Amino acid sequence: MFCKVLMSMALAVIFSFHSNFSPVAVATATVPDPTEQLRPFVDKIVTILTDVKLQGDEKCTERRQQVMKIAHERFDFFEMSKRVLGSQWRKLSENEQQEFADLFTTLLEHAYIGKIEDYSKQKVEFKDQRIKDDRAEVRTDLIDKDVVIPVSYIMILKNQDWMVYDIVVEGVSLVRNYMEQFKEILRKDGYASLLAQLKDKVDELEKATKPCPVDITPRES
Amino acid sequence: MCSKRNLTTCLFIPLFVCFSIIVPVVQVHADESHPDFLSDDFYEKGLESEEYILDRLEPINRAVFAFNDKAYLWVLEPLAKTYSYVVPFDLRICVYNFFRNLEEPVRFINTLLQGRFSDAGDVLVRFAINSTLGIYGLADAADRVFAHPPVEATLGETLELWGVGDGSYLVVPLYGSSTIRDFAGTMVDGLAITPYYSWSEDLSVIGGTYIGKETNKISMHLGEYEDFKKVFFDPYIGFRNAYFQYRRKLRDHTAENAEID
Repeated sequence: MFCKVLMSMALAVIFSFHSNFSPVAVATATVPDPTEQLRPFVDKIVTILTDVKLQGDEKCTERRQQVMKIAHERFDFFEMSKRVLGSQWRKLSENEQQEFADLFTTLLEHAYIGKIEDYSKQKVEFKDQRIKDDRAEVRTDLIDKDVVIPVSYIMILKNQDWMVYDIVVEGVSLVRNYMEQFKEILRKDGYASLLAQLKDKVDELEKATKPCPVDITPRES
Repeated sequence: MCSKRNLTTCLFIPLFVCFSIIVPVVQVHADESHPDFLSDDFYEKGLESEEYILDRLEPINRAVFAFNDKAYLWVLEPLAKTYSYVVPFDLRICVYNFFRNLEEPVRFINTLLQGRFSDAGDVLVRFAINSTLGIYGLADAADRVFAHPPVEATLGETLELWGVGDGSYLVVPLYGSSTIRDFAGTMVDGLAITPYYSWSEDLSVIGGTYIGKETNKISMHLGEYEDFKKVFFDPYIGFRNAYFQYRRKLRDHTAENAEID
């Protein structure tokens, strides 16, 4: 079933936790190639995770920090937050939007941070891409021993940079999934309650997150 | 009139006639079931429209979900864990393949009923290869050696194509996410046609086979359920939504999606 999804979602999401822009690219008239932008990003993450100098429990904090720094380059969590809230987003003031985006980003960070240590020689294979105006989908396979998990990166073009704002694993959109969960709360209890519950969940995950050092033995399967 | 070579064609003509009637329904459905992630409509839509997820039984479903949660965490997973210590991973894959291979005739019938003739051929080829070269279906030689990847087809999907609605989302005890229509289809697929459920009339044997098959499957995904539960905000909604999204992908047989599989 969608069981394999989590590992790949983790690998994909972990890779990033704040919606910053990457260094300004040289402005050209042509549209940059999304796959060619995503490929070095994935490579960099894998390099960090497999770097012998960064192995071991004592390097855990450093390893996580480095991964997150790279993650900032290619993920747009503001775009992600916007879509997760759907129509509610437009009803918020700019400050509220920023507050929500920060909180949601922290939620993702804590939800997936422990997963990063589960990395054990998975490979990312780039399949193909399609571009529609300022949007692109890059389709990859995450290869985990015998298991192939299709992972799509949904991206938006900003200042010549393709920024990821959704990940679709085995057909399951991460944003759409959270959106559906938030929708229910918005409908029943309203935005204030959603915000409060979001804070609670972040606290809960913060406590549950595997602290460094962590057990880095690969998941039993 | 029907020579041996043309036999298949002859068989398919009546089905084609049937499907020419159903095609308009299929077309409409295809549009709905193939969302474009690159369109913002995908994220905007669904927030207002309730038709996407029909959960008329939510209070009951939530109760069953809570039951399944405990049954899984307290009984099924410990069982699968013990099993995983005893049976090596490779052997568990063989068990999985064995059951899957026996289900191929069901998939064959459903691909035919859905008018997916090329997929039907694939299923047939897979069944032939895996039952022989794959040694009673223990290995998926068709996929690995002959590049015939698994094909998905259920009666639930067939009924969907024929215009039968979901009815409602349904959480089934010890089974999990489904809908009324799909679960009805699963019962027919499973109990009436799938060979391993007709080996015995005895309900306890049938139940035992099911639990055995599921335990084997769970043993290959230990810990994943807990991980999901942890990251989900409302696990009930999270799993429900993941079920619908995943099902939509399984039933999307457009060429674009087929490349992925």
